[in-house]
Amino acid sequence: MSYRLSWSAACAALVVVLGALCVSATMPISHDIRPGHGVTELRWLSDYHPALRGTPGDTPIYVLEGDEPGGSFLLLGGTHPNEIAGVMAATLFVERASVSKGTVFVIPHANNSASRYNDGTYNETSPQWIELTTASGEVRTFHYGSRRTQVEDQEPDPEVFVHYPSGIEFDGKEARNLNRNHPGIADGTLTQQISYALFQLVEREEANVVVDMHESSITSRLAHMIVCHPRALDIGAMATLDLEWAGIIMKLEVSQEEYHGLSHREFGDYTDAYVFLIETPNPGQERSITTPDVVNDPLAPLADRVRTQISTFTTLVNNYSLMSSHDEQIEFTFPFEVHDLVGSNLGEYLR
Amino acid sequence: MKKRLVWILIVAVIAFAGVTVGQETEDSVDPIVFEQPVLIASIGQSAGAQQARILAMKAGLDFTFEQRPTVDMLDGNATLIVVLGASSKGLGAAGVDMDGEIAWGIELITRARELEMEIIAMHIEGGARRGPSSDLATTTFALLADHIVVKGGDPEVEWTEAEEANGNADGLFTTIATENEITITYIARTLDAVEVLQQLFVVETSD
Repeated sequence: MSYRLSWSAACAALVVVLGALCVSATMPISHDIRPGHGVTELRWLSDYHPALRGTPGDTPIYVLEGDEPGGSFLLLGGTHPNEIAGVMAATLFVERASVSKGTVFVIPHANNSASRYNDGTYNETSPQWIELTTASGEVRTFHYGSRRTQVEDQEPDPEVFVHYPSGIEFDGKEARNLNRNHPGIADGTLTQQISYALFQLVEREEANVVVDMHESSITSRLAHMIVCHPRALDIGAMATLDLEWAGIIMKLEVSQEEYHGLSHREFGDYTDAYVFLIETPNPGQERSITTPDVVNDPLAPLADRVRTQISTFTTLVNNYSLMSSHDEQIEFTFPFEVHDLVGSNLGEYLR
Repeated sequence: MKKRLVWILIVAVIAFAGVTVGQETEDSVDPIVFEQPVLIASIGQSAGAQQARILAMKAGLDFTFEQRPTVDMLDGNATLIVVLGASSKGLGAAGVDMDGEIAWGIELITRARELEMEIIAMHIEGGARRGPSSDLATTTFALLADHIVVKGGDPEVEWTEAEEANGNADGLFTTIATENEITITYIARTLDAVEVLQQLFVVETSD
């Protein structure tokens, strides 16, 4: 009798667990982000594409509007949520930055489905979470996600993924790579809908600048690179000169015409925004490192990579503003010297 | 392969002509004063040419920028600045391969010489823009210039910037300059080229 009861209890528990998993798999995951005083409004990506509401692809948008009207800037982290420096740079912006002119839209987890867990792409030993200790001694945890939309959130991968609208063919799993799906499709797969919503945001908010923060392996030639849409190359060139003066060496590349599906190409082609993609080196993406320390790697510590991301997008936006009319300029500040992040405990800069 | 050999021979002839006309070194004669207007072009189609455009703007030069100009665009200019550095993305965007780029570069420089233009070769993207294709552009064209500007260190002097910023760590540009008696300027940071251009073109500055 007791044996039968325990089986019943186990079955009931299983149902509850499966039910919970089903719920969690259909809801957008939440993250420990603590908006600072600069945040004036919280929106959701689904505000720009209602079909995303309640799906794992929905994600918060933090709006920081300055007192003075100006241009508009979309900052994307977590297009690939395993590329954690972009996620943390966006998080730091939400928690600490102030906008004095224009409006900044920050999405720390652009592909929120991919943020849910790390599927081990590139490096099976890269972590599920990172921990950062704040100035008050609190340990905060942040998801270290996957490169692609989770398999259970989207229909099975096709054998060949055909990009819309170019018709370019990719490996089937790239159907879940947000940075191969731009400009998206309104009634397409979850990944295509996320992309579509981002494009709706850029269009509706008339974003002047879009920056998509990424990371590469340490040894990749992509590391320390700014990729610019051709229309934005002037701004990129000026920024690399300024950055070098500040001790940050970034390579400059122009987006090729055939790079369909990628943010630096498609946002530039389909919207009026100046578009950039930033790459910093992440030990977690290096296959040859057996146990990567994505936070404290001696060659590429996370705090240094976040500093590079922040300094780079700040310099890009400053140079954009230099070339723009007064009513399209964007200005923001941090309450600390961004350079001081180098060699620091990143957590001490968070709230 | 045969085609490449022919081009190398043409380059050698042009190089020889350049050397016999302009036997000048930093030690023996006054630095060359380059004349304006200037045409700035890329050989290798890297984005460094865009940086050169910004540098020329900051230096106050009278210049035209064209990433990959036709030879006709040389007309009316006194100096050609070629920015050396190969980018597969840039070449792809221009729809050419490296062989095509070398052939076009030789055509451009040959015409510039016919027009009696001076030529400056710049490599301003540091060690990150070194590699087989970039080096092919360098070894083919730097020796055809009247002056070389390189972001990198003089091998005789300790390099104090980041290692990857040194475009002359192996002394390639120094060797080309020495063997071909071409004056060379080393810069530590890309923005240093502004002052170098002002000196080369004797641009008056406010301070």
